[in-house]
Amino acid sequence: MKVLIVEDEKTLAYEMEDFLKKAFYICDLAHNIKDGLEKIELNSYDFILLDLGLPDGDGLSLLPKAKKYNPDAAYIILTARGNLEDRIAGLDLGADDYLPKPFSLLELQSRMQAIARRKFNVKEELLVLGDFNVDLQKRLILFQDNQIELSRKEFDLLSYLFLHNNRVLTRMQLSEHIWGTFADDDYDSNYIDAHIKNIRKKLNVWAPTDFLETVRGVGYRIKK
Amino acid sequence: MKLSSKLILFITSSKLAVVLLFIVSLPFLVDSIVSEYTNYSLRRQQAKVINVVHKNGIDHYLQGDDSYGSYTMLKEEYIALEPAAAKTLIDTIKTAQRIVERDTLSYRILMHTFNFENKNYLLEIGKTTASINQYNKPLQRIALYVLMGLIALTLLFDLIFTRVLIRPLGKIIKSKLINRKFPFKDYSPPVPTSTEDFKYLDESLILLMDQINEAFEKEREFTANASHELMTPISILQNKMENLLGDEQLPESVVLRIVEMMKTLSRLKKISNSLLLISRIENQQFVKSANVQPSKIIHEVMEEISHRLTEKELKISISLKEDRLLKNVNQDLLFQLFYNLINNAIKYNVNHGSIGITDEFREGKNYTISIQDTGIGIAAEDLDFIFDRFRKANLTENVGYGLGLSIVKSITLYHGIEILVKSKVDEGTTFSLIFPPSS
Repeated sequence: MKVLIVEDEKTLAYEMEDFLKKAFYICDLAHNIKDGLEKIELNSYDFILLDLGLPDGDGLSLLPKAKKYNPDAAYIILTARGNLEDRIAGLDLGADDYLPKPFSLLELQSRMQAIARRKFNVKEELLVLGDFNVDLQKRLILFQDNQIELSRKEFDLLSYLFLHNNRVLTRMQLSEHIWGTFADDDYDSNYIDAHIKNIRKKLNVWAPTDFLETVRGVGYRIKK
Repeated sequence: MKLSSKLILFITSSKLAVVLLFIVSLPFLVDSIVSEYTNYSLRRQQAKVINVVHKNGIDHYLQGDDSYGSYTMLKEEYIALEPAAAKTLIDTIKTAQRIVERDTLSYRILMHTFNFENKNYLLEIGKTTASINQYNKPLQRIALYVLMGLIALTLLFDLIFTRVLIRPLGKIIKSKLINRKFPFKDYSPPVPTSTEDFKYLDESLILLMDQINEAFEKEREFTANASHELMTPISILQNKMENLLGDEQLPESVVLRIVEMMKTLSRLKKISNSLLLISRIENQQFVKSANVQPSKIIHEVMEEISHRLTEKELKISISLKEDRLLKNVNQDLLFQLFYNLINNAIKYNVNHGSIGITDEFREGKNYTISIQDTGIGIAAEDLDFIFDRFRKANLTENVGYGLGLSIVKSITLYHGIEILVKSKVDEGTTFSLIFPPSS
């Protein structure tokens, strides 16, 4: 998948590029509207990540023109402004999602995958997780033909870990993913542990859950 | 007491006092005026009598008798002439008793000796005092009526005048102090008046409010800008740390340090977000157009938060009327409001404690929702400060960053909801939200 990052804060753009490259995205960078539009005109992207406060104007003004050249791309607005009007204006202009800064790169990737599933109809095979199969689209986890009942948050947690497999996710990152801005201030609290405990309990009935590792002092990881 | 009432009261009482004094002293005044006049008229009569005696001769009156006396039919006046011892000189006016036809009467008497054809005579002219004092009573009564009438009339004028005079003051108080609510966003024009003092007062108030507004505006702008400016560097740091953590070669000790750094950064993020939220609420950037059932919002909050009850094994009971509807509110903000209050009720509770959410509505009264916990409570001396930014009751507990209740306060202010707190240390706290009648 090809991604264009339009972001004037260069350090931030490089970090995003670094992260997405590791997740096998091909990245282009632009640091202003003019540069961005030129690249959009010449290339065809799957994702365009758009910062709003750019040196030569409001990123929103780029959207309509960009959509002409790249109508099939998914647009994600990234902004530190975070007010409701920007969000509504952005979505009205055809943006697919909106992430207020500061955001987690893990969250960005998760949103991009969700859009890919929805917008590009990426049909993922049933994912294999130990002896289990996971259907992200239908939000199901199966052991052979038996469907295992997980709560919404438990499924979110498991699929987030799965999406970023082989990477340790901290309790804080997991909290922020499933509770968003309402994540607890106290990151040492054991709410995530309680959820993981429940997931393990429900899955262990069918098969071992060795793939779901606890990393002492840090968090959890799904090993593949 | 209002200034106008005070003025009118003072004017009325001072006028009444003067009039009463006048009425009380009227008999003495009349007495002295009448006696002056009587003396004067007695002297005139004396002059006339002596004049006629000189003209007609004394015998014309004495007619061979020793003395002469004449009085009017009702004995109100009399004149007497009699010879007097030689060399006696009397010239007085005094009040004395005289017997006239067996009646003893009190007279004002002029006694005067004069010489006529080498003989000394005494002239007495008397007037009954009763006839002198007869004007007193009616005079007093009429004076009373006239003065009362005058007072009533002047009071009416005073009333009208003071009202006109003081009206600008009332307008200033009403437009600048009573009807204005902080923040003073709407422009309030100066009150027209020709009284310098009022003009000065009005101008000072306008200036003062402008200054308050400006300071408030600056603080708000600063908060918004500062939090916004913080977001970009926080973003960079967060993403750098995330990328670092993704490196599988890192030794465990470094990973643990990065996790600690991320926690700290997250705190910073949370504080900035909270400050930004407060400044957005204060900037009225949220639309209040939703109509929502409180029971529904609380249900949504519970969905997000109920997992936190298990840690302390807290019991929660929710009893809300299903038919209540909160009108013209912002749903996200109300969610945040209840979330923060319930979250506090959990956070500051004790093991095996309980939380109760109840509401109350009686016709003609405001709708109230109360959130009660059996937690550690808030000391009385801290109660006044719990809504202040960054102030935290129970400083020994390292939980919370002191902004949850500030957000609660700004949301309630924005919606016109009154919030009451009752708390007892070691027994628990109750937050009551009193919704305005319009919602």
